[in-house]
Amino acid sequence: MKAIETRFLNKTYGSTPVVDGINLIVEEGEIFGFLGRNGAGKSTFINMLTGITLPTSGSFSLLGVDGPSERIKKHIGVMPDYSTLFNSMSAMKHLKFLSSLSGRSVSVAECQHVLKLVGLEEAGKKKVSKFSFGMKKKLGIAQAIIHDPSLIFLDEPTSGLDAESALHIHKLIVSLQQQGKTVFMTSHNLDEVEKICSTIAIMKDGGIIKSGTMDELRSYYRSAITVQLKHDPIPAGEAQKLYAWLETAGTELQKTPAFTTITVGSELKIAEIIRAFTNCHVNIFRVEVNEPSLEEMFLAE
Amino acid sequence: MIAIGKREFISMFKSIKSIIIIAILLITSYYSAKYSEILATAIALTEKEMANIHTVGLLFVLMFFGQLFVMGLSHDSINKESHERTMRFLVTRTSRLRILFGKFAGAWFFWFASILVSFLLISIFSLKFDFFIFSQVIALSTFQISLAILMSVVVPKPSITMFLGILIGLLAPILGAWIALTDNTWISWLKFASPYYYLVEDNYLFLIIFCLAGLMLAAAATIFNRREF
Repeated sequence: MKAIETRFLNKTYGSTPVVDGINLIVEEGEIFGFLGRNGAGKSTFINMLTGITLPTSGSFSLLGVDGPSERIKKHIGVMPDYSTLFNSMSAMKHLKFLSSLSGRSVSVAECQHVLKLVGLEEAGKKKVSKFSFGMKKKLGIAQAIIHDPSLIFLDEPTSGLDAESALHIHKLIVSLQQQGKTVFMTSHNLDEVEKICSTIAIMKDGGIIKSGTMDELRSYYRSAITVQLKHDPIPAGEAQKLYAWLETAGTELQKTPAFTTITVGSELKIAEIIRAFTNCHVNIFRVEVNEPSLEEMFLAE
Repeated sequence: MIAIGKREFISMFKSIKSIIIIAILLITSYYSAKYSEILATAIALTEKEMANIHTVGLLFVLMFFGQLFVMGLSHDSINKESHERTMRFLVTRTSRLRILFGKFAGAWFFWFASILVSFLLISIFSLKFDFFIFSQVIALSTFQISLAILMSVVVPKPSITMFLGILIGLLAPILGAWIALTDNTWISWLKFASPYYYLVEDNYLFLIIFCLAGLMLAAAATIFNRREF
């Protein structure tokens, strides 16, 4: 089943399109990473799906229900960006209140469990006004999952968190996926997205310019596979012939007596390169293959 | 809706403004009822006025300062949530109508409880509970709360609604009384939109005030449904 499906979803402020006719499908059980520079329209897109803002045109459905629909709200959890929590409430009251709005009353034990999941087990009775930025962020995630939703929207869940807390949240997001939930998240942290997201979309100027699994994106950007070989010195008689062949096999050839680095367009070329070295009676000690990182793909756009 | 209404109701009781307003209502009710006999001997009153003499103090406060009190407590009930962005948590979880009517219900029950206690206090001295006047007062409060909610939906900034609330709170009873009683044909048609007009006569026309409140809430709901947070 499709967790999210948008059809020509559009949002315009004045004459400026912020989200420009997006068609997107997110399958159930995915961790979907939504990337884009500041102002690309990521938050506006999430805000439309979650009822914070209204689309100018187009339509969407969440968990098979056409939106914006009130009956789907109890099945989604949202951590919006730039939100202020209810400062006068304790973390526990916060969770109980927001959960009751979703039509599910939760026990103290359930609240404690979710607070523990986000690393706030000691702060249940503490007022939100006394929370640090990181603690508020964690509580923001806790309130998004307290009512056990099937589809969770997280707008930059780890921005501003220390490395340990961010890792903790990554594990939580992965565990949510393992429970069968769909997570739709935006992030500026490309390493994070690369590590935990199963599918990714890159947004630019209100539209999606690329989307797919990490492997699909890599195959699109495959011209950037870098192969580095550590080897014996190449015999003088063979060097000219080998380097001439390597220049036809790939690009950006770098050579030193002990290392050769080359960028190729296909994985198949790697085997050919190794074969070429062995045919020239050159021992290879190590082969390193660097596929394009998400950051490199992102920057390429 | 219940969760939002309950939160609104409880938070209204917690503020210092509400404690002062409740104190004013209760003190006025107590002392005006206690010393109403003195007032009755000082000025000439009709038999009907004599019958309601115990409630005169409370009615005076609510007629002339009720709108100010309501605005003071509810001018930012909606726009504060939008301004502080806590509204985002609400709209992603429940319908906008439930939020709006929850806020209204919380404020309405706050005033209902406060006025009920005031009337019960008066009944100690008058030895009766006047349901008709109580209903009239509740109708007026319903109108005033609806106006405050509408203003809070229309105007996004709490600082502006605070200023407007004071202005409307002070002017509403004066203008309302003038519109209700004036013979000026250019102005007098406005009396049908004023709650005070329906309170001049002791009949069930005051029920129209609930309809006016309903219209304002409907307008507020229409605008609120199109708001972006």
